[in-house]
Amino acid sequence: MSEGKMANESSSENRLKSVWQNQKSEGIPMSVDELRLKAGKLQRKIHGRNAREYVAALVVVVFFGYQLSLATDALTRAGFILMIAAVLYLVWHLHRKGSSQRLPEQMGLVSGLEYFRRELERQRDLVRSVWRWYLGPLVPGLILLQVASVHAHPGHLGRIALPLAITNCLAAAVFFLVWKLNQRAAGKLQRQIDELDALQKQQ
Amino acid sequence: MKESKAIPSDAPIQNDLYQQAVEAYGTPLERLVRGYEADAEARRDLLQEIHIALWRSFAGFNGRCSLRTWVYRVAHNVAISHVNRQRRAKSMVLVGLEELENLPDQNATDPDADRQHTLQRLLELIQRLKPLERQVILLYLEGLDAASIGDITGISPGNVATKIHWIKRILRRSFYERGQDGE
Repeated sequence: MSEGKMANESSSENRLKSVWQNQKSEGIPMSVDELRLKAGKLQRKIHGRNAREYVAALVVVVFFGYQLSLATDALTRAGFILMIAAVLYLVWHLHRKGSSQRLPEQMGLVSGLEYFRRELERQRDLVRSVWRWYLGPLVPGLILLQVASVHAHPGHLGRIALPLAITNCLAAAVFFLVWKLNQRAAGKLQRQIDELDALQKQQ
Repeated sequence: MKESKAIPSDAPIQNDLYQQAVEAYGTPLERLVRGYEADAEARRDLLQEIHIALWRSFAGFNGRCSLRTWVYRVAHNVAISHVNRQRRAKSMVLVGLEELENLPDQNATDPDADRQHTLQRLLELIQRLKPLERQVILLYLEGLDAASIGDITGISPGNVATKIHWIKRILRRSFYERGQDGE
Protein backbone atom coordinates (compact mmCIF):
# COMPACT_ATOMS: atom_id res chain seq x y z
CA MET A 1 0.00 0.00 0.00
CA SER A 2 1.41 3.40 -0.93
CA GLU A 3 2.25 5.96 1.76
CA GLY A 4 -0.27 8.34 0.26
CA LYS A 5 -3.05 5.80 0.43
CA MET A 6 -2.13 4.85 4.01
CA ALA A 7 -2.18 8.50 5.06
CA ASN A 8 -5.52 8.95 3.32
CA GLU A 9 -7.00 5.94 5.12
CA SER A 10 -5.64 7.08 8.46
CA SER A 11 -7.18 10.49 7.92
CA SER A 12 -10.51 8.85 7.00
CA GLU A 13 -10.46 6.77 10.17
CA ASN A 14 -9.72 9.84 12.24
CA ARG A 15 -12.62 11.71 10.66
CA LEU A 16 -14.94 8.83 11.54
CA LYS A 17 -13.64 8.77 15.12
CA SER A 18 -14.21 12.50 15.25
CA VAL A 19 -17.83 12.06 14.13
CA TRP A 20 -18.26 9.45 16.87
CA GLN A 21 -16.56 11.43 19.62
CA ASN A 22 -18.32 14.69 18.84
CA GLN A 23 -21.85 13.42 19.22
CA LYS A 24 -24.25 15.72 20.93
CA SER A 25 -24.43 14.93 24.63
CA GLU A 26 -27.86 14.30 26.15
CA GLY A 27 -26.43 15.57 29.43
CA ILE A 28 -28.16 13.35 31.96
CA PRO A 29 -27.32 14.77 35.39
CA MET A 30 -25.83 12.25 37.80
CA SER A 31 -24.90 13.69 41.15
CA VAL A 32 -24.57 11.15 43.96
CA ASP A 33 -27.82 12.32 45.56
CA GLU A 34 -29.69 12.07 42.27
CA LEU A 35 -28.14 8.68 41.76
CA ARG A 36 -29.48 7.38 45.08
CA LEU A 37 -32.91 8.59 44.07
CA LYS A 38 -32.66 6.96 40.66
CA ALA A 39 -31.32 3.73 42.20
CA GLY A 40 -34.50 3.47 44.24
CA LYS A 41 -36.66 4.16 41.17
CA LEU A 42 -34.75 1.62 39.10
CA GLN A 43 -35.17 -0.99 41.82
CA ARG A 44 -38.92 -0.37 41.88
CA LYS A 45 -39.01 -0.67 38.10
CA ILE A 46 -37.14 -4.01 38.25
CA HIS A 47 -39.54 -5.23 40.94
CA GLY A 48 -42.45 -4.17 38.71
CA ARG A 49 -40.96 -6.03 35.74
CA ASN A 50 -40.44 -9.16 37.85
CA ALA A 51 -43.98 -8.86 39.24
CA ARG A 52 -45.42 -8.88 35.71
CA GLU A 53 -43.47 -12.05 34.97
CA TYR A 54 -44.88 -13.71 38.08
CA VAL A 55 -48.50 -12.82 37.31
CA ALA A 56 -48.79 -15.71 34.84
CA ALA A 57 -47.56 -18.13 37.50
CA LEU A 58 -50.00 -16.63 39.98
CA VAL A 59 -52.91 -17.19 37.57
CA VAL A 60 -51.93 -20.86 37.26
CA VAL A 61 -51.60 -21.22 41.04
CA VAL A 62 -55.01 -19.59 41.58
CA PHE A 63 -56.55 -21.92 38.99
CA PHE A 64 -55.06 -25.03 40.65
CA GLY A 65 -56.03 -23.65 44.06
CA TYR A 66 -59.63 -23.27 42.90
CA GLN A 67 -59.62 -26.83 41.53
CA LEU A 68 -58.14 -28.00 44.82
CA SER A 69 -60.99 -26.37 46.74
CA LEU A 70 -63.51 -28.20 44.53
CA ALA A 71 -61.82 -31.60 44.75
CA THR A 72 -63.56 -34.12 46.95
CA ASP A 73 -61.06 -36.99 47.01
CA ALA A 74 -57.62 -37.13 48.56
CA LEU A 75 -55.80 -38.23 45.39
CA THR A 76 -57.07 -35.29 43.32
CA ARG A 77 -56.24 -32.89 46.14
CA ALA A 78 -52.73 -34.32 46.37
CA GLY A 79 -52.37 -33.97 42.59
CA PHE A 80 -53.29 -30.27 42.65
CA ILE A 81 -51.07 -29.64 45.67
CA LEU A 82 -48.15 -31.20 43.76
CA MET A 83 -48.95 -29.04 40.70
CA ILE A 84 -48.99 -25.88 42.83
CA ALA A 85 -45.71 -26.90 44.46
CA ALA A 86 -44.18 -27.51 41.02
CA VAL A 87 -45.22 -24.05 39.74
CA LEU A 88 -43.87 -22.38 42.90
CA TYR A 89 -40.59 -24.28 42.56
CA LEU A 90 -40.35 -23.24 38.91
CA VAL A 91 -40.84 -19.55 39.78
CA TRP A 92 -38.33 -19.78 42.64
CA HIS A 93 -35.77 -21.44 40.38
CA LEU A 94 -36.21 -18.81 37.66
CA HIS A 95 -35.90 -16.03 40.22
CA ARG A 96 -32.71 -17.59 41.62
CA LYS A 97 -31.01 -18.60 38.38
CA GLY A 98 -32.77 -16.58 35.72
CA SER A 99 -30.86 -13.34 36.20
CA SER A 100 -27.25 -12.38 36.69
CA GLN A 101 -26.04 -12.99 40.24
CA ARG A 102 -23.02 -10.77 39.89
CA LEU A 103 -22.76 -7.88 42.30
CA PRO A 104 -21.87 -4.48 40.85
CA GLU A 105 -18.82 -4.41 43.15
CA GLN A 106 -17.39 -7.35 41.20
CA MET A 107 -18.15 -6.08 37.72
CA GLY A 108 -14.95 -4.07 37.40
CA LEU A 109 -12.88 -7.10 38.33
CA VAL A 110 -13.78 -9.20 35.31
CA SER A 111 -13.08 -8.52 31.66
CA GLY A 112 -15.82 -8.40 29.06
CA LEU A 113 -14.83 -11.80 27.71
CA GLU A 114 -14.96 -13.48 31.11
CA TYR A 115 -18.21 -11.78 32.06
CA PHE A 116 -19.87 -12.65 28.76
CA ARG A 117 -18.71 -16.27 29.03
CA ARG A 118 -20.15 -16.66 32.54
CA GLU A 119 -23.44 -15.12 31.44
CA LEU A 120 -23.66 -17.54 28.50
CA GLU A 121 -22.80 -20.47 30.78
CA ARG A 122 -25.53 -19.48 33.21
CA GLN A 123 -28.11 -19.27 30.42
CA ARG A 124 -26.92 -22.55 28.88
CA ASP A 125 -27.19 -24.38 32.20
CA LEU A 126 -30.68 -22.97 32.72
CA VAL A 127 -32.06 -24.12 29.36
CA ARG A 128 -30.09 -27.38 29.33
CA SER A 129 -31.55 -28.42 32.69
CA VAL A 130 -35.13 -27.55 31.72
CA TRP A 131 -36.22 -31.11 32.44
CA ARG A 132 -34.95 -30.93 36.04
CA TRP A 133 -36.49 -27.61 37.10
CA TYR A 134 -39.43 -27.10 34.70
CA LEU A 135 -40.82 -30.25 33.11
CA GLY A 136 -39.81 -32.85 35.71
CA PRO A 137 -41.47 -31.23 38.74
CA LEU A 138 -44.81 -31.12 36.85
CA VAL A 139 -44.80 -34.88 36.18
CA PRO A 140 -45.73 -36.24 39.67
CA GLY A 141 -48.75 -33.93 39.88
CA LEU A 142 -49.89 -34.82 36.36
CA ILE A 143 -49.53 -38.56 37.02
CA LEU A 144 -51.38 -38.30 40.31
CA LEU A 145 -54.25 -36.41 38.65
CA GLN A 146 -54.48 -39.15 36.01
CA VAL A 147 -54.53 -41.84 38.69
CA ALA A 148 -57.17 -39.86 40.59
CA SER A 149 -59.25 -39.63 37.41
CA VAL A 150 -59.14 -43.42 36.90
CA HIS A 151 -59.81 -43.97 40.60
CA ALA A 152 -62.85 -41.69 40.48
CA HIS A 153 -64.46 -43.73 37.68
CA PRO A 154 -64.28 -47.34 38.83
CA GLY A 155 -65.63 -49.70 36.24
CA HIS A 156 -65.55 -47.07 33.48
CA LEU A 157 -61.93 -47.46 32.46
CA GLY A 158 -62.96 -48.38 28.92
CA ARG A 159 -64.88 -45.11 28.55
CA ILE A 160 -62.13 -42.83 29.83
CA ALA A 161 -59.19 -44.74 28.33
CA LEU A 162 -59.27 -42.95 24.99
CA PRO A 163 -59.52 -39.36 26.36
CA LEU A 164 -56.77 -40.20 28.84
CA ALA A 165 -54.55 -41.61 26.13
CA ILE A 166 -55.09 -38.53 23.93
CA THR A 167 -54.37 -36.17 26.84
CA ASN A 168 -51.21 -38.09 27.71
CA CYS A 169 -50.00 -38.09 24.12
CA LEU A 170 -50.58 -34.34 23.83
CA ALA A 171 -48.81 -33.67 27.14
CA ALA A 172 -45.89 -35.87 26.09
CA ALA A 173 -45.67 -34.06 22.73
CA VAL A 174 -45.66 -30.63 24.42
CA PHE A 175 -43.03 -31.78 26.93
CA PHE A 176 -40.87 -33.18 24.15
CA LEU A 177 -41.18 -29.98 22.11
CA VAL A 178 -40.27 -27.76 25.06
CA TRP A 179 -37.31 -30.00 25.90
CA LYS A 180 -36.14 -30.09 22.27
CA LEU A 181 -36.37 -26.32 21.80
CA ASN A 182 -34.43 -25.75 25.00
CA GLN A 183 -31.76 -28.26 23.99
CA ARG A 184 -31.43 -26.43 20.69
CA ALA A 185 -31.07 -23.12 22.53
CA ALA A 186 -28.45 -24.71 24.81
CA GLY A 187 -26.56 -25.88 21.72
CA LYS A 188 -26.53 -22.34 20.29
CA LEU A 189 -25.26 -20.94 23.58
CA GLN A 190 -22.59 -23.66 23.74
CA ARG A 191 -21.38 -22.68 20.27
CA GLN A 192 -21.01 -19.08 21.44
CA ILE A 193 -19.07 -20.30 24.49
CA ASP A 194 -16.84 -22.39 22.22
CA GLU A 195 -16.14 -19.31 20.08
CA LEU A 196 -15.06 -17.39 23.18
CA ASP A 197 -12.92 -20.33 24.33
CA ALA A 198 -11.23 -20.44 20.95
CA LEU A 199 -10.55 -16.71 21.26
CA GLN A 200 -9.03 -17.26 24.71
CA LYS A 201 -6.86 -20.14 23.48
CA GLN A 202 -5.38 -17.94 20.78
CA GLN A 203 -3.97 -15.60 23.43
CA MET B 1 -28.31 -8.06 38.34
CA LYS B 2 -28.47 -9.08 41.97
CA GLU B 3 -29.14 -6.27 44.38
CA SER B 4 -26.12 -5.47 46.54
CA LYS B 5 -26.27 -4.52 50.20
CA ALA B 6 -27.06 -0.88 50.88
CA ILE B 7 -24.00 1.29 50.74
CA PRO B 8 -23.63 3.75 53.62
CA SER B 9 -24.38 7.28 52.53
CA ASP B 10 -21.11 8.48 54.08
CA ALA B 11 -18.81 6.60 51.72
CA PRO B 12 -16.62 9.55 50.68
CA ILE B 13 -14.00 7.58 48.75
CA GLN B 14 -16.65 5.77 46.77
CA ASN B 15 -18.46 9.04 46.05
CA ASP B 16 -15.20 10.78 45.09
CA LEU B 17 -14.25 7.98 42.74
CA TYR B 18 -17.67 8.08 41.17
CA GLN B 19 -17.48 11.86 40.69
CA GLN B 20 -14.02 11.52 39.11
CA ALA B 21 -15.33 8.82 36.81
CA VAL B 22 -18.32 10.90 35.73
CA GLU B 23 -16.20 13.96 35.05
CA ALA B 24 -13.72 11.98 32.96
CA TYR B 25 -15.99 9.41 31.31
CA GLY B 26 -19.56 10.68 31.60
CA THR B 27 -19.76 11.67 27.94
CA PRO B 28 -17.99 8.53 26.61
CA LEU B 29 -20.47 6.47 28.63
CA GLU B 30 -23.35 8.20 26.86
CA ARG B 31 -21.76 7.27 23.53
CA LEU B 32 -21.19 3.70 24.71
CA VAL B 33 -24.87 3.33 25.59
CA ARG B 34 -25.87 4.49 22.09
CA GLY B 35 -23.94 1.52 20.74
CA TYR B 36 -26.02 -0.86 22.83
CA GLU B 37 -29.54 0.56 22.66
CA ALA B 38 -31.36 2.31 19.83
CA ASP B 39 -34.52 3.23 21.71
CA ALA B 40 -34.17 6.60 23.50
CA GLU B 41 -36.11 5.69 26.63
CA ALA B 42 -34.46 2.30 27.04
CA ARG B 43 -31.12 4.04 26.46
CA ARG B 44 -31.74 6.45 29.33
CA ASP B 45 -32.63 3.50 31.57
CA LEU B 46 -29.49 1.63 30.55
CA LEU B 47 -27.32 4.68 31.18
CA GLN B 48 -28.84 5.06 34.63
CA GLU B 49 -28.30 1.37 35.30
CA ILE B 50 -24.64 1.77 34.33
CA HIS B 51 -24.19 4.82 36.55
CA ILE B 52 -25.78 3.04 39.50
CA ALA B 53 -23.62 -0.06 38.96
CA LEU B 54 -20.57 2.17 38.61
CA TRP B 55 -21.27 4.01 41.83
CA ARG B 56 -21.81 0.74 43.68
CA SER B 57 -18.80 -0.85 42.03
CA PHE B 58 -16.44 1.69 43.60
CA ALA B 59 -17.08 0.04 46.96
CA GLY B 60 -14.96 -2.80 45.56
CA PHE B 61 -12.43 -0.74 43.58
CA ASN B 62 -9.00 -2.14 44.45
CA GLY B 63 -6.76 0.07 42.34
CA ARG B 64 -5.29 -2.91 40.49
CA CYS B 65 -6.40 -1.42 37.20
CA SER B 66 -6.79 2.15 36.05
CA LEU B 67 -9.97 4.11 36.67
CA ARG B 68 -10.63 4.07 32.92
CA THR B 69 -10.35 0.27 32.65
CA TRP B 70 -12.64 -0.14 35.68
CA VAL B 71 -15.26 2.27 34.33
CA TYR B 72 -15.35 0.66 30.89
CA ARG B 73 -15.44 -2.89 32.31
CA VAL B 74 -18.40 -2.10 34.55
CA ALA B 75 -20.21 -0.21 31.80
CA HIS B 76 -19.69 -2.85 29.11
CA ASN B 77 -20.57 -5.70 31.47
CA VAL B 78 -23.84 -4.04 32.46
CA ALA B 79 -24.50 -3.41 28.76
CA ILE B 80 -23.80 -7.07 27.90
CA SER B 81 -26.50 -8.14 30.36
CA HIS B 82 -28.83 -5.61 28.73
CA VAL B 83 -28.09 -6.96 25.23
CA ASN B 84 -28.65 -10.52 26.42
CA ARG B 85 -32.03 -9.57 27.89
CA GLN B 86 -33.02 -7.72 24.71
CA ARG B 87 -31.82 -10.52 22.49
CA ARG B 88 -33.96 -13.06 24.34
CA ALA B 89 -37.00 -10.78 24.37
CA LYS B 90 -36.80 -9.68 20.73
CA SER B 91 -35.08 -12.74 19.20
CA MET B 92 -32.39 -10.49 17.76
CA VAL B 93 -29.69 -12.05 15.58
CA LEU B 94 -26.26 -10.52 16.13
CA VAL B 95 -23.31 -11.10 13.83
CA GLY B 96 -19.52 -11.17 14.04
CA LEU B 97 -17.20 -8.78 12.25
CA GLU B 98 -16.44 -11.26 9.47
CA GLU B 99 -20.15 -11.89 8.86
CA LEU B 100 -20.90 -8.17 8.93
CA GLU B 101 -18.20 -7.59 6.32
CA ASN B 102 -19.94 -10.07 4.02
CA LEU B 103 -23.46 -8.74 4.47
CA PRO B 104 -24.91 -6.74 1.60
CA ASP B 105 -24.44 -3.09 2.31
CA GLN B 106 -26.09 0.12 1.29
CA ASN B 107 -24.15 2.69 -0.64
CA ALA B 108 -21.12 4.12 1.07
CA THR B 109 -21.53 7.47 2.78
CA ASP B 110 -19.11 10.35 2.99
CA PRO B 111 -18.69 11.18 6.70
CA ASP B 112 -17.95 14.82 5.96
CA ALA B 113 -21.07 15.34 3.88
CA ASP B 114 -23.63 14.51 6.56
CA ARG B 115 -22.34 13.81 10.05
CA GLN B 116 -25.77 12.92 11.44
CA HIS B 117 -26.40 10.38 8.70
CA THR B 118 -22.91 8.97 9.16
CA LEU B 119 -23.50 8.61 12.88
CA GLN B 120 -26.80 6.88 12.25
CA ARG B 121 -25.20 4.39 9.88
CA LEU B 122 -22.32 3.82 12.26
CA LEU B 123 -24.78 3.04 15.06
CA GLU B 124 -26.68 0.65 12.82
CA LEU B 125 -23.45 -1.22 12.11
CA ILE B 126 -22.44 -1.32 15.77
CA GLN B 127 -25.83 -2.47 17.01
CA ARG B 128 -25.73 -5.51 14.73
CA LEU B 129 -22.53 -6.83 16.28
CA LYS B 130 -22.07 -9.51 18.90
CA PRO B 131 -21.35 -8.10 22.37
CA LEU B 132 -17.60 -8.66 22.51
CA GLU B 133 -16.98 -7.29 19.05
CA ARG B 134 -19.25 -4.37 19.84
CA GLN B 135 -17.00 -3.61 22.81
CA VAL B 136 -13.94 -3.59 20.57
CA ILE B 137 -15.43 -1.25 17.96
CA LEU B 138 -16.81 1.14 20.60
CA LEU B 139 -13.45 1.34 22.37
CA TYR B 140 -11.66 1.73 19.02
CA LEU B 141 -13.91 4.66 18.11
CA GLU B 142 -13.14 6.20 21.51
CA GLY B 143 -9.49 6.16 20.43
CA LEU B 144 -8.16 3.49 22.80
CA ASP B 145 -5.14 1.46 21.69
CA ALA B 146 -5.10 -2.34 21.31
CA ALA B 147 -3.44 -2.93 24.70
CA SER B 148 -6.05 -0.85 26.56
CA ILE B 149 -8.88 -2.52 24.65
CA GLY B 150 -7.34 -5.88 25.60
CA ASP B 151 -7.29 -4.92 29.29
CA ILE B 152 -10.97 -4.05 29.24
CA THR B 153 -12.27 -6.85 27.05
CA GLY B 154 -9.93 -9.65 28.13
CA ILE B 155 -8.97 -10.29 24.49
CA SER B 156 -5.23 -10.43 23.78
CA PRO B 157 -3.76 -7.35 22.03
CA GLY B 158 -2.97 -9.57 19.01
CA ASN B 159 -6.59 -10.61 18.67
CA VAL B 160 -7.73 -7.05 19.28
CA ALA B 161 -5.44 -5.96 16.43
CA THR B 162 -7.04 -8.56 14.15
CA LYS B 163 -10.51 -7.36 15.09
CA ILE B 164 -9.50 -3.74 14.51
CA HIS B 165 -8.25 -4.75 11.08
CA TRP B 166 -11.73 -6.12 10.31
CA ILE B 167 -13.36 -3.02 11.75
CA LYS B 168 -11.28 -0.78 9.52
CA ARG B 169 -12.22 -2.85 6.47
CA ILE B 170 -15.90 -2.63 7.32
CA LEU B 171 -15.74 1.10 7.99
CA ARG B 172 -13.83 1.72 4.77
CA ARG B 173 -16.36 -0.24 2.79
CA SER B 174 -19.30 1.46 4.49
CA PHE B 175 -18.08 5.02 4.46
CA TYR B 176 -15.26 5.61 2.00
CA GLU B 177 -14.88 3.17 -0.82
CA ARG B 178 -17.52 4.61 -3.10
CA GLY B 179 -16.04 7.06 -5.51
CA GLN B 180 -12.51 5.97 -4.72
CA ASP B 181 -10.24 3.64 -6.62
CA GLY B 182 -10.63 -0.02 -5.72
CA GLU B 183 -8.18 -1.51 -3.23
